[in-house]
Amino acid sequence: MTVLLELENVEVVYHHVATAVQGVSLRVPERSIVALLGTNGAGKTTTLRAISGFLGSDDARVVGGRIVFRGETVTGRRPHETVRRGLVLVPERDKVFETLTVQENLAALVSGPRRLVSQQQVFEYFPVLAERRRQLAGYLSGGERQMLALATALLCQPRLLLVDELSLGLAPMIVERLMQLVARLRDELGLAVLLVEQNAAAALGIADAGYVIEHGRIVYDGSVQRLLAHEDIREFYLGVGHRADRRRYTEVKQYRRRRRWF
Amino acid sequence: MLQALATTLVVASLYALLGAGYVLVYRSSRVLNLAQGDLLTLGGYFVFALAATFPGLPAVSLPLAVLASALTGVLVYVVLMRPMAGHPIFAAVLVTITLGILLRAVIVFVFTDRTRHPLGNLGLTNPPRALPGGAVVSTFDLVMVATAVVLFVGLFVFLKLSPLGIQMRAAGERALLASQRGINFHGVFALSWALAACAGGLAGMIYASNVRLEPSLDVLGLRAFAVALVGGLDSLAGVIPAAIIVAAVEVMSVRYGNPLLSDVSPFLCLLLMLLVRPWGLFGTREELERV
Amino acid sequence: MSENEEGHGFAGALRTIGGHGEPFRGPPCQLVALGGGYFKTSYEADLALVDTRLRRTAVVALVLLLVVLPRFASSFLLDLVSQVALAALGALALNVLTGVAGQISLGHAGFLAAGAFTTAALVERGVTSPLVTLPATAVVGAVLGLLVGIPSLRLRGLYLALGTLAMHHVVLYVAGEMQARAGGNTGFTIPPARVAGVVLRGTVGWYYALLLAAGVTLALVVNLQRSRAGRAWMAIRDRDVAAASVGIHVARYKLSAFVWSSAVTALAGTLFAYQRGFVSVEAFGFFVAVEYIAMIIIGGLGSALGAVLGAALVTLLPYGIDAAVAAVSPGAADYYIFPAKFGAFGLLMAVFLIFEPLGLVGIWRRVRNWFFLWPFRHRPLRAA
Repeated sequence: MTVLLELENVEVVYHHVATAVQGVSLRVPERSIVALLGTNGAGKTTTLRAISGFLGSDDARVVGGRIVFRGETVTGRRPHETVRRGLVLVPERDKVFETLTVQENLAALVSGPRRLVSQQQVFEYFPVLAERRRQLAGYLSGGERQMLALATALLCQPRLLLVDELSLGLAPMIVERLMQLVARLRDELGLAVLLVEQNAAAALGIADAGYVIEHGRIVYDGSVQRLLAHEDIREFYLGVGHRADRRRYTEVKQYRRRRRWF
Repeated sequence: MLQALATTLVVASLYALLGAGYVLVYRSSRVLNLAQGDLLTLGGYFVFALAATFPGLPAVSLPLAVLASALTGVLVYVVLMRPMAGHPIFAAVLVTITLGILLRAVIVFVFTDRTRHPLGNLGLTNPPRALPGGAVVSTFDLVMVATAVVLFVGLFVFLKLSPLGIQMRAAGERALLASQRGINFHGVFALSWALAACAGGLAGMIYASNVRLEPSLDVLGLRAFAVALVGGLDSLAGVIPAAIIVAAVEVMSVRYGNPLLSDVSPFLCLLLMLLVRPWGLFGTREELERV
Repeated sequence: MSENEEGHGFAGALRTIGGHGEPFRGPPCQLVALGGGYFKTSYEADLALVDTRLRRTAVVALVLLLVVLPRFASSFLLDLVSQVALAALGALALNVLTGVAGQISLGHAGFLAAGAFTTAALVERGVTSPLVTLPATAVVGAVLGLLVGIPSLRLRGLYLALGTLAMHHVVLYVAGEMQARAGGNTGFTIPPARVAGVVLRGTVGWYYALLLAAGVTLALVVNLQRSRAGRAWMAIRDRDVAAASVGIHVARYKLSAFVWSSAVTALAGTLFAYQRGFVSVEAFGFFVAVEYIAMIIIGGLGSALGAVLGAALVTLLPYGIDAAVAAVSPGAADYYIFPAKFGAFGLLMAVFLIFEPLGLVGIWRRVRNWFFLWPFRHRPLRAA
C-alpha cells in the first residue's frame, strides 16, 4: 500500500520559544482513514496546520523534519498550492462562507487537475445541500455546515483529506452519519483521510489505523484493533473499562513507564 | 428643475464611480482607501501624458490610460497593502493616506501644479447637448453617466455570476478559508485593487476632459467617501442610491444655500448616517463589529 | 505599554529572590538589578516617575542642557526646538486619545483650529489676555471634544476615524465661515501675549514658554498613563467589550479621553496663535492631522516618549530635506522642493508603517533589550 503522506520527525515551534510538537512521525497510506487522537492542547491542530501550510498566521514555524506528500516535500509550501496538489483541509472553525449561498460556496474554490467528483455526485452524497441550494450558508445548521464544508473540500478534488474535529459541537446522531459518510468516501472514491478527533470512539469506528499524540509527541500508534485493545487507550480516550478501584491518571504505571522513554 | 436633475445625475455618476472603488477595496482589504481621490487625479494625468505622447489618437490614449490605472492598482496592492496584511486597521488606513501623499508628490513633481486640459491633445471636443425638457449638459457629462452605468452593470455580472467574481467575494469575506480552498487571495485582492483604480481613473479621465485637471482634484475623492459610507461600505448596490442622495443634497445646497456649504454637505450626510445607521443604507451590521 | 515593563514589582522580587515568606531586606537602595530586570523593593520606588539612576541622570542632564541652550545656540536652533515642543504638545494629546485610549481620531487639526479660532474670536471682541483666552480655549476644546466623542460610543475603528474626519471638515467649515464673515478674508491678527505687564515675545521667550508647556504636559501624560484613568483607557483600547464586563464605565472613559485630548490640543492651538500672531483657516488642513498621526505612529503608538520623538522627527524632516537638497543641487527650483518634502514625508511614513509598526520607541526597545538580554536572544516565557 503506497504511502500518500509521510511526516518525519516534524517539529513546530511557536514564537521562537515554545515547542508545540516534537518528533512527530506518521504516515497515511492510500485508501485509508488514519485517526489522530489527543486531548486539547496535545498538538493535533498544529500538526494539521503544519501539513497544510497554515502556520504563518500564528508566528509558528516548522523547524525540523519533513513533510512528504506523494513523494514531494511540501514543508513550508504556501497554502493554496497544497490544495492544487490534492491536499485539502477541512478546518475546525470558520468552515463556510456565510454571506454566500450554498451554490456559490460550492463554486468558490480552485481545484487541482484531478477529476474525483462532479457537483452532481456531491449532491448525491449530501442531498440536504441540494435542497438548500439557494440558502445563505450562514443560516445552515451545524451539521449542514459541516456537510457543506466536506462537500466543498471534495470539489477541490483531493487525494488526501485533512479533517479537523469533524464531530465538534454536533449531536451524536449527526456525528455518526458524518462518519459513515467519510467511510463511504474512502470506499467508493478511494480517498485517504487524516482524521483529527477528540471523539475517539467515533473516529476509531471508521479508521484503519491511529496515532495518539500527547504533549506534542506521538505516544502510541498502530492498527485500530491494536488501539482498541490497549487498556490505557480504552480508559483515557474511550472511557470504557476501568478497574473497580479506579486509579488516578498519574498512578497508571504502565503509561508512565512508556512515557519515560520520551 | 430639470437642469438640477440632470446635474445631480452627472455628479452622482462621478460619485458612484469613486464609491465603487471604495467598496471594491473595502470588500477585499477591509480598509477605506483614502487615496481613491488621488487615483482619480492619477487617471487624469495618465490620459494627459498619453494624449501628449499620441496626440489625436484617443483610441490609443484612453485604453492605455485605463491599463496604466489598473497596473497602478496592482502595484499599490503588492507594494503597500500586502505587507500590511496582519496589521491593525488603523495602520492600513494610514498607509492609504500615505499612498495619497506619495501619489500627490509624484504628480506635482512630474507635472507641476498648473491646471491642464487634455481634451485638445486627445483630439476630441466637448460640445454641449440639449436634453429633452430644456436641460443642457456637455458631451462628457453624458459619457460620465454612461460609464458609470456600464461599469456597475459589468461589476454586478462579474461578481454575481462569474467564478472569479464569486472567488473575489469569498476571499473578501474569509481570506483564510479561501486560501484553504485553493484560491490565491493575493491575486484576487490585487484584481480588486486594479478594478478600483480603474474606476477612479476613468472618473478622473472623464472629469479632466470635461472640466479641468489639477493636482488638487483629490478633494472629490474625500467627498465621495461619504457616498461609500452612506450606502454601506460593503455594499456595491448601496453606492447607487447613496450617490444620488449625496449629489442631490450637494446640488440643492449650491442652489439654495451658499457654495461653502456644498463643500461640507457630503460630510453632514455622512455624520447623520453614522449617528443614525452606521452600517449604511445597504450594508451589513456585522461589518461594524469586524473592525 | 508602560516604560517599566521589566520591573516585576514587589511580589516578583519576593518570588525570585527568596521564595520564603519573609520580605527581602535588600541593600539600602530601593532598586535591585538582577538578570531578569530591575526589581523594586518598596512602593515608593515602584511609583517613581523616573526610576533607575541612569534615567535620573539622563533627565537631569537633558533639562540642564535645554535650560542653558539659549546661551550658545543660534536663534534658528532655538526656533526649531520651540517648534518641536509645540508639536510635541499636540502629539502627546493625540497619543492619549489614539495610542492609550484607542480612539482613532483623524480630526486633530480641527481641535487645533478650534483653539486658534476661539482666541481669534475673543481678540475680535477685545479680549487679548492669555489669562482669559487660555481657560476659554480649554473649555471650548473640551466641549468640542465631547461632541466629537459622542460617535465613539457607537462606532469603533475605521468608522470612528471617518466620523472624526467628517467632524474635522465641519469644524473647518465653521472656522471658514467665521473668517469670511469677519471681513478679513485672509485671517485674524493676534497681538502678542501679555500677562501682568510682561510681554511674551521673541525667540528665547517663546522657547522657554513652549518647553515649559511641553514638559508639564509630558509629566501629566506619563502620570495619566499610570493612573486609574490610564488603565481604563488601555483596557478599552484593547477590548472595550471585555472592559465593560469588568466594570469599567466605557462611555465615561471614552468621552473623557476625547475631552482631555481636545482640551490640550485646543490649548496648543492657542499657543500657536499667539506665537505666530496670525490665524487663518488654511493653516489647519487635513494634512496637519496627518502630520500629527505620523508623529505618534513613527514615534510609537501608546508611548509618551514616542510622541515626543515622533514630533521631533516629523518637525525636523522638512529642514533635513532642505539641507539635503541644498547639499546635492543648490539651485533647485522651489516647485521641486515642495513635492520632495511631501514625498519624503510620505515615504518615511510608509517605511515605518510597513517595517517598524512599533515606531522609534520599538527600535529603541529592541536595541535596549539586545543589550539587556545578551547573550540570550529572547525573553523566557513567563510560564514554568
